[in-house]
Amino acid sequence: MDLLRQLQQANYSGIALIDSEQVGYQQLISGALALRQQYPQLQQQGVAIRYSALPQFLTALLAFDGWCSALYLLPETELDIPEQVQHWPCEPSVIQHTTSCSQDTLWYLATSGTTGTPKWIAHTFASLSRAVKVAAAQSSLHWGLCYQPTRFAGLQVLLQSLLSGACISDCSSGDAEQRIEMMLNSGVTALSATPSLWRQLLMTGCLHQLPLLQLTLGGEIADQALLNKLSALFPSARLLHIYASTEVGVGFAVSDQQAGFPLSWLDTHHSGLAFKIDEQHHLWLKPLHTPDSNLARRLDSEGYMDTGDLVHIQGNRVQFLGRDSGIINVGGNKVHPEQVEQVILQIADVLQAKVYAKASSVLGQLVVADIVVTSHTDRAKLQPQLVGHCQQHLARYQIPTRFNFVDHLSTNATGKLNRKEPHG
Amino acid sequence: MLPPILFNLFNGLIDTVKLEQTIRTTLAHVATIANCKLIADITDDTVLLQSGLDSLGFAMLVAQLEEDLGIDPFSQMQIAVYPRTFAEFVTIYRQAQQDGNK
Repeated sequence: MDLLRQLQQANYSGIALIDSEQVGYQQLISGALALRQQYPQLQQQGVAIRYSALPQFLTALLAFDGWCSALYLLPETELDIPEQVQHWPCEPSVIQHTTSCSQDTLWYLATSGTTGTPKWIAHTFASLSRAVKVAAAQSSLHWGLCYQPTRFAGLQVLLQSLLSGACISDCSSGDAEQRIEMMLNSGVTALSATPSLWRQLLMTGCLHQLPLLQLTLGGEIADQALLNKLSALFPSARLLHIYASTEVGVGFAVSDQQAGFPLSWLDTHHSGLAFKIDEQHHLWLKPLHTPDSNLARRLDSEGYMDTGDLVHIQGNRVQFLGRDSGIINVGGNKVHPEQVEQVILQIADVLQAKVYAKASSVLGQLVVADIVVTSHTDRAKLQPQLVGHCQQHLARYQIPTRFNFVDHLSTNATGKLNRKEPHG
Repeated sequence: MLPPILFNLFNGLIDTVKLEQTIRTTLAHVATIANCKLIADITDDTVLLQSGLDSLGFAMLVAQLEEDLGIDPFSQMQIAVYPRTFAEFVTIYRQAQQDGNK
């Protein structure tokens, strides 16, 4: 069932969002119906939406899901869309007839592919809203949106708020102090953020002033010190950390305020998933629902899929260690080492480069590079040149925070960089 | 000759000044590589996240101080403490150094 019809059926009477104005659920629904009337030419077409403000964005999502063939949520960075897809907003049509047939809309979100270049990934509304919890306690929450709703993390919060009949305010711009102020002014009681963003919010010294009832941590590994701090500040709130595998397209929430997840889950199903750990310490998950067809080929004989996440067992918990592929997670931003290495290798004096993660107590991980340079290189001169070159070609969080000059980098039998070796 | 109690106090004061100087030097160095423009006058009351250093710069500062001083107080805490001002930040490092010397 499409988003609009779900909200019509739920028949929420409260406030859906607080922006510069308050917008109620019924107002959103009538706005969406008016849009369908005004833009019949968009029916069964692909539409690309840019985010500017919550009221317009939400009305457009409601109008176009189940109405258009595809919804492209444009990211902040430029990304091409297929030619026949129309940009929204556009001119209203002069034709005034519409048919009432509903269709399944594919939602496209920009994701950085394995090469680090953004690409479009299709989702169904059902898969995007699978994690949404609808319960009476959820409808009284007021969510603070910490990420743009064109990003996966932001859209999840937006759909949670909408489908559960809660209220939402955009707190996704500005520094931590400005965000806290927005949250305080609009009366936010629920937040979902990366551990890194939670740490920044804690650094404002004002987080405790928010009357939080629900706190969610996701997108990075949640550590025990942070969980302890948050549960001490909000002893009666619901505190969850979420594990989501974009590879496998499933996830689960842990609510006992302990890092990792209980070892006992390996023997019992949880969140509609079965769990196992292989000899390489990879976490494998088996969804109880039928996975999307493009994932079916990745199932092992028992129906499990490899998440690519490394785990280790510590007492009665399974703890996360990070990605086996070497993808670096800087405060929730994924960095592909190979992409950074390619940029560094564009400098003539650099012969070899190996990029990897260094643990950070602030952002989870930071990017570090070991490089081998020609013997005549003036290292003092090369350092600023490297930084300057990376600043031109990489996003800030991708730039190595440190360059180590090493004599050699070990390679494996096939001549590839040995990524499992201790770093220099 | 200073009495031992004053001598210890004096040494403690020197250590504090040295520590703050190290942090200031590292801060300036990190701001350059992180491409952050620091505000002109960083005082005890300066709010860290308004010093011109963003979260990435702050993470780099903590990482560099770990190399310079051999401690990362933020990774060792059971219940994390998050400094708001520059003075609070220096205090956390001073405390961690003292705990380490015990």
